[in-house]
Amino acid sequence: MIMFIIRRIASMLGVLFALTVALFGLQELSGVDPARAYVGANASAEALERTRVQLGLDQPAIVRYFDYLGGLLHGDLQNSLRTRTPVAEGLSTAFPATVELALWSLGLALVLGSIFAVLTVTRWKGAGIVRVVLLSGASAPTFLLTMLGLLFFYGQLGLLPSGGRSSFGSTSPGPTGLFVLDGLLAGRVDVATDAIWHLILPAACVAISPAVAIGRVLVDGLRINLVSDHARTARSAGMPEGLVMLRHAVRNSLGATLSMIGIQAGLLLGGLVVVEKIVSWPGVGSYLDKSVQASDFPGIAGVALLLGVVYVVLNTLVDLLQVAADRRLVLS
Amino acid sequence: MSAPVPVVDVDDLRVTLRRGATEVEAVRGVSLQVGRGEILGIVGESGSGKSVLGLSLMALLPASARPIVTGRIRVLGTDMVGTSANDDRLLRKKHIGAVFQDPMTSLDPTMTIGKQLGEVTSDKREIVKLLADVGIADPETRLEAFPHQLSGGLRQRVMIALSLARNPSLIIADEPTTALDVTVQAQILDLLLELRETRGCSVVFVTHDLGVAAQICDRIAVMYQGRIVESGDVEAVLGQPQHDYTKGLLASKIDLDTPRDRPVSSAHGAGSADHLPEVWPPVVMGTPAVSVVDVHRTFSSGPIWKRRHLEAVRGVSLEIAQGESVALVGESGCGKSTLLRLVAGLDSPTSGSVTVAGDVGPQMIFQDAGSSLTPWLTVGELLGERLRAAVPGITRPQIDRQIAETLERVGLSPEVARVRGASLSGGQRQRVAIGRAVIVPPTVLLCDEPTSALDVSLAATVLNLLGRLRRELGMSVLFVTHDLAAARLIADRVAVMNGGRIVEIGDAEAVCADPQNDYTRALLSAIPGTELRRPTRSLTDTHNEEGGA
Repeated sequence: MIMFIIRRIASMLGVLFALTVALFGLQELSGVDPARAYVGANASAEALERTRVQLGLDQPAIVRYFDYLGGLLHGDLQNSLRTRTPVAEGLSTAFPATVELALWSLGLALVLGSIFAVLTVTRWKGAGIVRVVLLSGASAPTFLLTMLGLLFFYGQLGLLPSGGRSSFGSTSPGPTGLFVLDGLLAGRVDVATDAIWHLILPAACVAISPAVAIGRVLVDGLRINLVSDHARTARSAGMPEGLVMLRHAVRNSLGATLSMIGIQAGLLLGGLVVVEKIVSWPGVGSYLDKSVQASDFPGIAGVALLLGVVYVVLNTLVDLLQVAADRRLVLS
Repeated sequence: MSAPVPVVDVDDLRVTLRRGATEVEAVRGVSLQVGRGEILGIVGESGSGKSVLGLSLMALLPASARPIVTGRIRVLGTDMVGTSANDDRLLRKKHIGAVFQDPMTSLDPTMTIGKQLGEVTSDKREIVKLLADVGIADPETRLEAFPHQLSGGLRQRVMIALSLARNPSLIIADEPTTALDVTVQAQILDLLLELRETRGCSVVFVTHDLGVAAQICDRIAVMYQGRIVESGDVEAVLGQPQHDYTKGLLASKIDLDTPRDRPVSSAHGAGSADHLPEVWPPVVMGTPAVSVVDVHRTFSSGPIWKRRHLEAVRGVSLEIAQGESVALVGESGCGKSTLLRLVAGLDSPTSGSVTVAGDVGPQMIFQDAGSSLTPWLTVGELLGERLRAAVPGITRPQIDRQIAETLERVGLSPEVARVRGASLSGGQRQRVAIGRAVIVPPTVLLCDEPTSALDVSLAATVLNLLGRLRRELGMSVLFVTHDLAAARLIADRVAVMNGGRIVEIGDAEAVCADPQNDYTRALLSAIPGTELRRPTRSLTDTHNEEGGA
């Protein structure tokens, strides 16, 4: 078991190392001259050369790569060409915003997916309606759904805010940068509820498609396991149907479902970038959008690296959870 | 004095199962009683309704079949028909234990043994005592084991422990020994008999195997097409069967006294479709078709620093002449299937050599014919595929003609070519699988337990078919089985395997009649015949039974 965890973490570090190599390589190939971008178009050739030496750009690529890697280990994601401030600084406010939205989206996807699955396998009468609603939601592209949601809930009904994270300014009242959590920690219930109000629409729009995917895999697993021999054994011992579902069906369905959750969580990160733009969410997606428009390579690379780390960590987590659900995976 | 209340009292039970619009009346008016401490055997072939009857007694019929149950079932005086699902559940919980056929799938694979037993009794000492009661050595060390880490016999003992946990008055055992080796089967039967003595519980024992029923039951009821056609004391029913169906079942049961020189007579009169001769013509044997020389096969697993090696085959030499049939007999894990895979070329030996003569490679028939037929292809497509692969440039009319001929050869009508495997019966599927293997006659036909999933009468017809085909086509046959009685009928020579080695090989009749090796003798004595209980049947001490790899 411990060997397994060590192996998973080692391979995770390997993937991250490969990611830094790829990002550095792309930066080299991009043709953007950081020294030129730094000094501006009108600077003299001398000033340009000085900056080049100053930034260490006269060194060979391998040396510069290790400088870059060393910097990463100290949390230095280079300076943004757009803002001339460290990328890490810019992301430090954007990242918690994205994390908060991502966690709510994923959480909602799990809840909706589970409800969908349980209603379907227990043949509850209204399951068909839930199914139609979720499927039609999932069949629309996320950005369209978000825009329609805004038009309806903000434009028509005036129920939800038009966008942004909070009506209380952009600084979170607590240490984590997550408004709901910080609001509760600081005893500011008004801040927390306001943040939830802002979260609902984008989180629901991002969640709906993963919810269907996760729900479907879970339905398959539950169906198979509910008619399995071991469920029959549990019933023969007089176990109530609810417990059969919980102890025997759900647990045995987790393997494939966790895989799907991992895949969907990765896809969800991509979806967030677009949705953030629509609801003016001050997150990593918005930061990336501005960096792309300014050809700010360090900014783009910083976001790519950050999302890459999140993705790899998520997948490692899924692997470990799968083992926790079914220890046969590491035995024999 | 009034008669005591029977543990089970069934009166005119009818069960209809529904799939879509079709309804099947699986049980058609069954009445029976089981007394306290009595073991009642329900014997019948697949589709006889015996398992549906067993499940009805527990109110565990699959909900997806939307069962309709009428009549009366009383367990310990409590009605189970027309009662609420929750009442039935509480009755199961308090009074009924269940043991099913496949202990591997019947135990939750993601749960340790201790956890699963913990669901029926929370006291850890009680769990340990239960495991000890069912003959599991070192019960404490098994609590943390997962089902796949135990051997089949140990798994079934755990199932029995699970069923005994609440001290039930009634145990429903549905084919509890069918998935086990003969020697392990003997141990499990002993255990059930012992538990009946010590705990006084009644047992309803559902089985297709008359031999097993003879070993354990006090009374038996023979089921055929949803009805009990004959019932009574086990001596009476098996000694002087009254009903034709029972007589047929007894006649088609293969044992060590079945004549080898002619086809086995079958309960369903196998049919003229099989063109069986009165007496088998002698086999003409030629040059060696298969030669296996000092073959070893070792499987390695685990990381390099604590590599584990499993020697599945340890130095086997075997020669099969053209036209000869050799049976490899042994229990699970003896290496017989590994050896078969080596001859098939599906695996390569670690050392030694395997040579197969002829241009057409070996063909294989598997135990589960249903899953060896591709579900979305018709029988014609399956057979045609094999033909096109083996005979380049063959034309459409030639293919059609050969398919029709082959289907006829294996006792099926040519129309079968147009249907898919799923719509055929188990016996027909096995015929299709055989047809696919022989449509281009191979030098050697490899059979992996082709009869062990079939009912006795079907097993007999498959053995007859193989016996005829190998003579007609001059094929060599390598037949892997755990069943010595079947081996004796199909094979010219029998090789007994144990621990990766051939421990005895010789003329089939000689090996069965006069075994030289202790292990062969043990295997022979564990075969349940239709004679009644023998005092000592278990051969390996329970405590020697090890967990799986």
